[in-house]
Amino acid sequence: MRRPWPAGGRLARTLQADPYFGYLLVLPLVIWIVLTIVYPVLDAVRLSVLNVGYVGAAGRFVGLANYGKVLASWEFWHTAAVTVLWTALNVALQVVGGLVAALVLNQEFWGREFARNWIILPWLFPSIVLATMAKWMLDPTLGVVNYLLLKAGLVAAPISFLGSPVPAFLTATIVNAWHWFPLFALMILAALQTVPKEVMEAAEVDGATYWARLWRVELPSIGQVLYVVIFISSLWAANVFDVIWLLTRGGPSSATNTFTILIYTKGFQEFRISEAAAISIPLFAMLCLYGIWYMRRFMQEGVEGATS
Amino acid sequence: MTAAKTVARYLSVLAVLAVAMLPTYWIVINSFKTLPELTSPVPTFWPHTFTLAHYVALFEQLPFLAYFWNSAYVALWVTAVTLALSSLAAYSLYRCRYRGREVLFKVFMSSYIFPRVLLLIPLYVVFARLGIIDTLGALIIVYVTTIAPFSIWMLRAFFTEVPLELEDAAMVDGASRLQVLVRIFLPLCATGLAALGLYAFLMSWTEYFFALTFIISDPHRTLPLGMAQFLQDYNIDWGLLMASSVIIAIPPIILFAVAGRWFVKGLTAGAIK
Repeated sequence: MRRPWPAGGRLARTLQADPYFGYLLVLPLVIWIVLTIVYPVLDAVRLSVLNVGYVGAAGRFVGLANYGKVLASWEFWHTAAVTVLWTALNVALQVVGGLVAALVLNQEFWGREFARNWIILPWLFPSIVLATMAKWMLDPTLGVVNYLLLKAGLVAAPISFLGSPVPAFLTATIVNAWHWFPLFALMILAALQTVPKEVMEAAEVDGATYWARLWRVELPSIGQVLYVVIFISSLWAANVFDVIWLLTRGGPSSATNTFTILIYTKGFQEFRISEAAAISIPLFAMLCLYGIWYMRRFMQEGVEGATS
Repeated sequence: MTAAKTVARYLSVLAVLAVAMLPTYWIVINSFKTLPELTSPVPTFWPHTFTLAHYVALFEQLPFLAYFWNSAYVALWVTAVTLALSSLAAYSLYRCRYRGREVLFKVFMSSYIFPRVLLLIPLYVVFARLGIIDTLGALIIVYVTTIAPFSIWMLRAFFTEVPLELEDAAMVDGASRLQVLVRIFLPLCATGLAALGLYAFLMSWTEYFFALTFIISDPHRTLPLGMAQFLQDYNIDWGLLMASSVIIAIPPIILFAVAGRWFVKGLTAGAIK
């Protein structure tokens, strides 16, 4: 749906046809983005064909040697697998969690405004607070989670949640999903509110069960928003650094070593800046391809709809 | 409506709220426990004795106030610069018509696909050359970069709502286009700008990744960096961490209480219209 220009507004519209004012206003941001995104990315390409170790060192041209080395390494493909798994699991948890929370909050109940506003709480916390909470609650000796599990007889000995690969991966995923699901819940909730009540009521009168109404009426009518939410959630999940770094540093046994962690450790712990750059470029290419594919496949609305 | 249905409804609401809030409750009450109670293997679900000792220690033993001030300084600058840059750019994209407008919009939006980590290395190299590594200025620059593109998206709901007639009327009265923008248009979008301000402040206040790489010396540490230090200590001082977690979360909560509903509108209107 395009938002039509309001009736009238003839003078303003005529003046808008004069392009220079428009260019002038957008120019500062364009310059900012060119200097801090476009230029750095080009510089990353340059770094990736040199053999720079630490920042400030002079590099020698080595052609595609870094790429060859990186792409031939077990580490790169292991990281790719971890990143895909991490992203997929995060998207699933965040979107399903957000959807469930949105459906719950879309009901009529006392205190609805309060609940709808403050469901956002987990999203307001800095990652350092998330890490603190998780480490404190999951601590093997002091943590309340192990205490409750032991008391309920569900485990025989305290679990070291961050000590072995699979639990650590799942823990970091859940912490990160807990941080993000409220944001998606709010987006989905706003979409649910646009589903006309009459449609839902008519379906109910026709005898459709709750699940039938959900699958046949409610979800299809918010489909476009779900696609946007899944897209945003996947991009943000693929970019996560803080929660993983603060909880596990990519370990144990590289179980949580996503690309952001790998690039950081290569560049700033092992001082192989050029190799780190050579990892960044394929990652960027993959994300671009994913973005283009996803938008073509699932998001019908073009830019025109957004700017008109 | 049967009673069973009503009970189920309230239980579902309670369950969702519990997931969102219980960890918060746990941090807050633990920040008021005495050290022996805090580190007892049998946790208490309500403190036996309340103490402010951890909060006092935070301000007495650590450069906590300096971290707090650094974070506030960065976040306020980022908010101001982002508001200026993106409100002008968004006005241009949504209100002016010129060639290349759509391409520009696409470019801004797709800077989201950008892995932040891709910017990390080249920006570090550039900042090192400029000599601004280990300054708060480096953080301000990079935060504006990561926040500005999304801001354009957020402002859309508010900017496209203002009727053109208002701008017309002002121009008939002889106001220049810049005057119309600053005096008439932007004040009408005040709620949108508040929402954007909240987002910019929140993102810079909580940021850890770039701060970790660009800031080296203790006097320049922001709050998340300062706190990360205690979390990495061999003997973690949980009391201090709980207290500082509570304090670092207060500014975002206050801001959200003030501007939250507009933020939600900016967030969702782009996706829904």
